[in-house]
Amino acid sequence: MTVLDIKGYTLDYATPTGTVRALDSIDLAIERGEVLGLVGESGSGKTSLAWAIMRHLPANAREAGAISLAGQSMMDASESQIGAIRGRRIGMVFQDPSTSLNPTLTLGQQISEVLVRHHGLTRRQAWAEGEVMLGRVGLKQPAAMMQRYPHEASGGEKQRVVIATAFACQPECILFDEPTTALDVITARQILDLFADLQAETAVASLYISHDLALVSRVADHVAVLHRGRLVEQGTVDTVFDAPRDDYTRRLLAAVPRPERRLVTGAPSSDARPLVEVDKLSVHYGRTGLLAALAGRRTAQVAGNRDVSLAIQPGEILGIVGESGSGKSTLARALTGINRFDGAVRFDGRRIAGAGDMDRPYRRDVQIIFQHPDSSLNPRQRVREILSRPLTLYGGEERIEALLEQVRLPASFADRFPHQLSGGEKQRVAIARAFASRPRLVICDEITSSLDVSVQAAVIELLVDLQRRNGTAYLFITHDLNLVRQLAHRIAVMYRGQLVELISIDDLARSGPRHAYTRSLMDAVTPPREYAS
Amino acid sequence: MAELLRRLLRSPQGALGLAIVALILVIVTCGPWLAPYGPDTMAPRLRYRSPSAEFLLGTDQYGRDILSRLLYGARATVTLACLATGLGTMAGAVIGTTSAFLGGRADEAIMRTIDAIMSIPSLLFALLIVNLLGKSSFSAVMAIGIAFTPGMARVTRSVALAVRKQDYINAAIARGERGIYIVLREMLPNVIAPIVVEMTIRVAFSVMLFATLSFLGLGAQPPASEWGLMVAEARRFMHLSPWMILWPALAVALVAIGFNLLGDGLRDALNPRT
Repeated sequence: MTVLDIKGYTLDYATPTGTVRALDSIDLAIERGEVLGLVGESGSGKTSLAWAIMRHLPANAREAGAISLAGQSMMDASESQIGAIRGRRIGMVFQDPSTSLNPTLTLGQQISEVLVRHHGLTRRQAWAEGEVMLGRVGLKQPAAMMQRYPHEASGGEKQRVVIATAFACQPECILFDEPTTALDVITARQILDLFADLQAETAVASLYISHDLALVSRVADHVAVLHRGRLVEQGTVDTVFDAPRDDYTRRLLAAVPRPERRLVTGAPSSDARPLVEVDKLSVHYGRTGLLAALAGRRTAQVAGNRDVSLAIQPGEILGIVGESGSGKSTLARALTGINRFDGAVRFDGRRIAGAGDMDRPYRRDVQIIFQHPDSSLNPRQRVREILSRPLTLYGGEERIEALLEQVRLPASFADRFPHQLSGGEKQRVAIARAFASRPRLVICDEITSSLDVSVQAAVIELLVDLQRRNGTAYLFITHDLNLVRQLAHRIAVMYRGQLVELISIDDLARSGPRHAYTRSLMDAVTPPREYAS
Repeated sequence: MAELLRRLLRSPQGALGLAIVALILVIVTCGPWLAPYGPDTMAPRLRYRSPSAEFLLGTDQYGRDILSRLLYGARATVTLACLATGLGTMAGAVIGTTSAFLGGRADEAIMRTIDAIMSIPSLLFALLIVNLLGKSSFSAVMAIGIAFTPGMARVTRSVALAVRKQDYINAAIARGERGIYIVLREMLPNVIAPIVVEMTIRVAFSVMLFATLSFLGLGAQPPASEWGLMVAEARRFMHLSPWMILWPALAVALVAIGFNLLGDGLRDALNPRT
């Protein structure tokens, strides 16, 4: 039985500069008990489709086509009919549980509200029912959890509550909009397992939206690939992944990082003098205000890093992995003098005790590339000015055009502003800026995590190429284990501010991880599915 | 820029404000050529005239044409008010951005000082400064500029705090840039939009404050045709000709309304979501 049926659906947004087509004649059908994975890069219209199904579009949306839920047309339904359908017959799980829950209501109030609204239960009945639901999504103490506010629960627990709310009224169809993207690897894994269990149990029709191909190949029965508002391919997981017909799908699949396909060859000589030695580096956050200090109050300090010691050889790629909040970026910021730190850093044999010791030669040799190119490039400066700063600071006769050429951008980009470039192009400009001073160590802080898969592959290839040509060492920070295993010579695993394991990629392949945390991290990662081509 | 103008013209207050400010600009630049008489041309036999075809807005106690005096006076009043606002804005923007950049103890020290200064009403503060510097147009400009600085510093800091967290600032620090470069080249251009809005609205206050100072005899000195001064002089002859006090007062009000509307329109145009 077809639960959700979309036929020839087209969506345009009317903007002051003309209409923009978001979705172009979409045909989709989801059967009862089926999971349809909707894959696409950012801007492809995935989320627009979800909101179109939920009938919650901005005022400038212009639509055509048909969306029907179990035979009933959604587009002709009145406002009050839609109100009765939302939450009752269609549920939705959002990407970020920390913003999709109301911070001023307890979790219990939020889940029982749906039941009161749609099932006509009394508050007391709904509360009891909600408690049962929370138990079903695997929360350890449902009764206590009902009383808590969102900030008192972890990200994974909050996402479980959101899922419980979506499933509460036994809807026919649930939309999952990247439900694990905002979560840590291990938590994401648990949420996925929960999703699979609930899906099998309730036989709900699910639309699972994601940009992660590896993940979709594991959870979905059918896959639809969305590219610039058009469905370029759809079919069962096996047919799409094993024999992709469309060119775009093929490119997308080829771009997925695979640990077994190494991008770098050889290993740096281990007997040479290390380029950087980090010795018992600790970072503490939290500052006691002037008035608070006068009043004799002390602010509790939070440790960002605790006694981290590691060394990087010249030309080595050291991958740092760990979940969010494990202190990966803190380490990067300490090494570039943005954060204060205790302990010592030895660069090329010279002792650096703090930001004060980081003089011009050190700054020139150690460069950092940030996660979001949107925020790391000054929006009011042209590319030329952005790239010329390192040259004026450290000297160097390289031309802007040559720098752009190095990162495979046309010279004409020099006169553009960052907002006139795409995400991948912006990140290339940031890379060009870092390499302008011919550094010996480049710290890459999650530089590909805000990019789409295909763009990420191109950026990584560029980095590997630059490393081969310049012999630069990288400190490559990421949460993507598949990617880091393709790229790094050694991997450092961080957990709650501490370095728990430092292992070379060969040892990892040969004998597996030693530390329990690394093992659980490795187990949680969805490896890319094997496919024929 | 063209897009901004189009958005500005779409809102009624923006369009009206822009029209009034454009009119004022024309008067400021070409006032002396538009004026039918000289500002100081006296005609003892034509005193206290009501508006007529000969004197469009009437004449004052010396028989000087009020329209001509207003047209000449616009240059003094509006230009000096804009100058004072610009001065206060620039100083405030730099202080606010620097404070946000430094952060920590320095930020606290700067902002608490600013708070202390802000607790003095701006007119009183301006009066104090004029008394210290002596009566003249220049000291009035300085007084208003200084009186506006704390408020602008506060507005700028709140915006600059968000900019401070951006990675391009971190990148500049990691690159080893000097603090002054980061404040002036990296941060200031990114806080300019709200500053422009705030500045436009403050020009209105500045015109009024300037007129007030002149009215109290602390700004422009006779025989200048400054609007506040014109109101002050006309006060004594109000019973002979109410027009004398009405026109310059209306002129001050029009400028204030014009800049206020433009500021409102700009705020909406620069920030389409609110």
